[in-house]
Amino acid sequence: MITIIPIYWMFVVSTRSPVELFGRPDFSPTFFEKIYWKNFTKPFVDGVYAEYLWNSIIVASCNAILVTVLAIMATYALSRWKLAASENIFFWTMTNRMAPPAAFLLPLFLLFSIVFRYDDVSLFDTKLGLILLYCVFNLPFAIWLLKGIFDGIPRELDEAVLIDGGNYFTIIFRIIIPQAAPGIAITALLSWIFAWNEYLLAATLTSVYARTIPTGLAEFVTTTGTNWGAMAAVGFVSMLPALVFISLVQRHIVSGLTFGAVKG
Amino acid sequence: MKKLFLSVFASVTALTAVAGGHDAFWKSAGQPYKGVTLQGVTENTPPGQFVSEVLAKDFEKLTGIKVRLETTSWDQMYDKAIKDMEANTGIYDFVYIEQDIIYSYLDRDFLVNISEGLAANPKLKAPNVDFADFTTFIDYFKNGEGDVFGVPMEAFIKVYLYRKDLFENTEAKAAFRARYGYGLEPAKTFGQYRDNAEFFTKFCADQGMDCWGTTVQGHTGHPASTYELLETIFPSFGVYNWGINMDNYQASVENGGQLNGGRAKAALRFWTGLLDFAPPEALQSTWSEVGASFAAGRAAQGWVYGENAAWIATDAERSRVVGNVGVSLPPTAEGVMMQAASGNGYIGYFDGGAFGIPHSSKNKEATMLWLQYLGQNEVQADWAIAGGRITHKATYSDPKVVAVDAKADAYFTLMRDTGYLFAGAPPYPFHGAGRAAIDPFIFKALAGELTPEEALDQAAAAVDELMKELGYAK
Amino acid sequence: MVGSKRIPWYLLSPTIVILLIVGLLPFIYVLIVSFYNWNPLGKSDEMTFIAGDNFRKLVFDEDFLLSVWRSIKYAFTTLFFEFIIGFLLALSLRESFPFRPFFRIVHTLPLVVAPIVVGSIFKLFTVSGFGPLPHFLKEWFGYSFNYGRDAEQAFWMIVFMDIWHWTPFVTLTLLAGLSALPKDPYESAKMDGANGIQIFFHITLPMMIPVLLVVVFIRLMDSLKAVDEIWMLTSGGPGVETRLAGIHIWRSVFESRFYGYGSAMSIFLLYITIVICWLLYVVMTSKQNESNA
Repeated sequence: MITIIPIYWMFVVSTRSPVELFGRPDFSPTFFEKIYWKNFTKPFVDGVYAEYLWNSIIVASCNAILVTVLAIMATYALSRWKLAASENIFFWTMTNRMAPPAAFLLPLFLLFSIVFRYDDVSLFDTKLGLILLYCVFNLPFAIWLLKGIFDGIPRELDEAVLIDGGNYFTIIFRIIIPQAAPGIAITALLSWIFAWNEYLLAATLTSVYARTIPTGLAEFVTTTGTNWGAMAAVGFVSMLPALVFISLVQRHIVSGLTFGAVKG
Repeated sequence: MKKLFLSVFASVTALTAVAGGHDAFWKSAGQPYKGVTLQGVTENTPPGQFVSEVLAKDFEKLTGIKVRLETTSWDQMYDKAIKDMEANTGIYDFVYIEQDIIYSYLDRDFLVNISEGLAANPKLKAPNVDFADFTTFIDYFKNGEGDVFGVPMEAFIKVYLYRKDLFENTEAKAAFRARYGYGLEPAKTFGQYRDNAEFFTKFCADQGMDCWGTTVQGHTGHPASTYELLETIFPSFGVYNWGINMDNYQASVENGGQLNGGRAKAALRFWTGLLDFAPPEALQSTWSEVGASFAAGRAAQGWVYGENAAWIATDAERSRVVGNVGVSLPPTAEGVMMQAASGNGYIGYFDGGAFGIPHSSKNKEATMLWLQYLGQNEVQADWAIAGGRITHKATYSDPKVVAVDAKADAYFTLMRDTGYLFAGAPPYPFHGAGRAAIDPFIFKALAGELTPEEALDQAAAAVDELMKELGYAK
Repeated sequence: MVGSKRIPWYLLSPTIVILLIVGLLPFIYVLIVSFYNWNPLGKSDEMTFIAGDNFRKLVFDEDFLLSVWRSIKYAFTTLFFEFIIGFLLALSLRESFPFRPFFRIVHTLPLVVAPIVVGSIFKLFTVSGFGPLPHFLKEWFGYSFNYGRDAEQAFWMIVFMDIWHWTPFVTLTLLAGLSALPKDPYESAKMDGANGIQIFFHITLPMMIPVLLVVVFIRLMDSLKAVDEIWMLTSGGPGVETRLAGIHIWRSVFESRFYGYGSAMSIFLLYITIVICWLLYVVMTSKQNESNA
């Protein structure tokens, strides 16, 4: 119930005109009577928000895939081998997520626009740049989450594959991925969501070609009035791809759960 | 001599030319830069949207030069422009320069001297654009020698708005006279302002209306509230330039400043006192909510940014008070109006911005063409109607603008006739840091955590400290 | 696994390379800048080397330390509630009940709303005057709610917003962990006649420790550096009551452009975060070892 109320409110807001929003506090479902369509049409049909949405989908999806693949590889390595430095590497990956963003924006900006630059082409304002960048907070998360899960998979299974003449990739594909499927699905899902929602880095490191939905949402806040209605409308629409993604992944999570279901 | 000739020529053409009368020039001048893409950054406001949705497209059609405008939020806009210019990356060919930040940019030599650039490249000089056609607002974007560094794109004054229907209500008039012993009218003095605020708060409550006596831009966490105090309330009480002494950049009284002087304290006490008569959202209101509150009919009077005045008065989709908006000069303390008229002070905030070209731009010449395109007299009227902004003298008398002006209770006329009483932000290269140092104390005063006197004493000390740190203190 | 020393490095290398570039390089830059006095809008925009002066100043900077303290308070308060609610939800979502698939999807909805919209929607919901929340609180309970004035209310509101937004994250992550638990211990415990609560505390909880660590760490880190939502909702007000460390640094770097000092503050905050996480890590893993013994 508590989950629903703000979402419901967002929807109500998205259907009202500016005049209707500022007045008496009104919580009733006015959208049955009248919907102020301009909140939706202006950003998506006339404006560039469809493009932002597309950028967001690409960036979040590619990042989630990249992160999941890299994290499976890295976690497998950290989980199965006792490397001299593994504890340190493990903790170090985590520190990457801790950095408070404000001060780190300047070096990232320089990195993207000057260091990685060949002639006129740089990582600044590209989707590729964002996809790589989001690894900085998603990889640590993914590795940590998967580590606990991979550690729980018995090593005897690995060795059985090796004895059968398989190599390490067979292990990953035959043993690890099926065994950890729900965990991997949730990792991918959450990475996707983190990338989907990220604002500060995207706002600084994109300009016109790779803007994502959160940066577009911030544009509604201006000195001549915040366009709450349109903001809520775009926010609402941008939930939909996320919902599709969740329900796709959810199926894997559910099947995984029933597979290993135990009463706790 | 050449300049004089040009300006005569330009004003003649401005009178005779129909829109698009100079197509030939733009076509030939733009020829060498065909296919170039210019990138700029501005805030996502109606004037900015008009540039990206209308003017940029027209310009591309004429010249083949593409213009991509990044529209973004206010705080992002600064940050990105500054980062780009500091690092010399050359991402932006033109940036929005708000009037208050221009001194920081000039101080750091971020911007291209447009006058010089045009003089060096006569081929780029558009025949129908003359900087002398602009209102005096362009003076803020000139250096000591009168060279232009930014082409104004918007300008507003922060005015006093009141609800005509309420102020002319006969019942209200009678009740006001009975209670205060004089006639109800839009405030000229602070005493009147306070009485009006108190009166309407009670009057509305009695009538069962959702409205209060005044707006206050009093967000307790957002710089907007500090700006209202420093740029509107202070000067109308006779405290100029944020109460900072321009000779030694010190703020506290003992160091020669005014920030914690008697007038400043009276101003802050008056202003925070208004919260009793303001709608409850006042403490969460930035400039955007103040406009929205007034448009929703929730305040009888208030200081409202000029960019909001036009839409509040005319746009029925966003405003409930269309047709009932009165526009006037803000109230002032005794003597302030005289000082402002004689050029020794000002009564409120003249705000706006211009587009300038960073040194790091790789397409300076094409950008100069584009900025001149925006500076044409011909494009101003529609732009003024879309964004409520005026930067050219001739725009005031355009029939389309005159028609809007009539609906907006002569806001544009007020701006034309009394604009000289207002002033932009003081020429501080440390603008952002200075304001941020004052912020917390104003927030605390608004939230009631500090008395106005304590708040200003601490703010003044903080500014003095900051100036030492930045190396400006003398 | 003998003779395969190289393979883990192959597997790790892409991760390490990417993190070196987008993680470590900026860190080194910030670390270097933190030893300089640098404000591009100062009288002089030169960087001057001042060794540890920024850090010396920082430990006496009451405003900053207070903001760090607020952040810690905020992080642990939200973590506490999110953890309990999230764990309960995760456990109950494993049971089957009517509309479970529907509820599973619905409970994740807050996660997919961009923080900046969450902040705005909450603002519109709770703003005094025309927001429904203060209106109904007043109407039904006679409780006056104005977070622009009342620091307590403002704090609990950002806490509530965070709980609303991030509890699903905790739930989902814990679900991932629960799904990977082996069956055997449960069966043997049942044979020994343990009841549900005993099983939870003696088997589920200890086995969940690695995943619990992830949840705790991620939430701690994210809320210690939180900016977006709070920025939209209170911008740090009333006064400076909700100016958390992230927002404090944001303001110094972006409004006042103290790059040097801002970098020093970031490093300090990073250091505090690492210390807190390390302590938790040591405490929790040692417990795990005890219970395994």
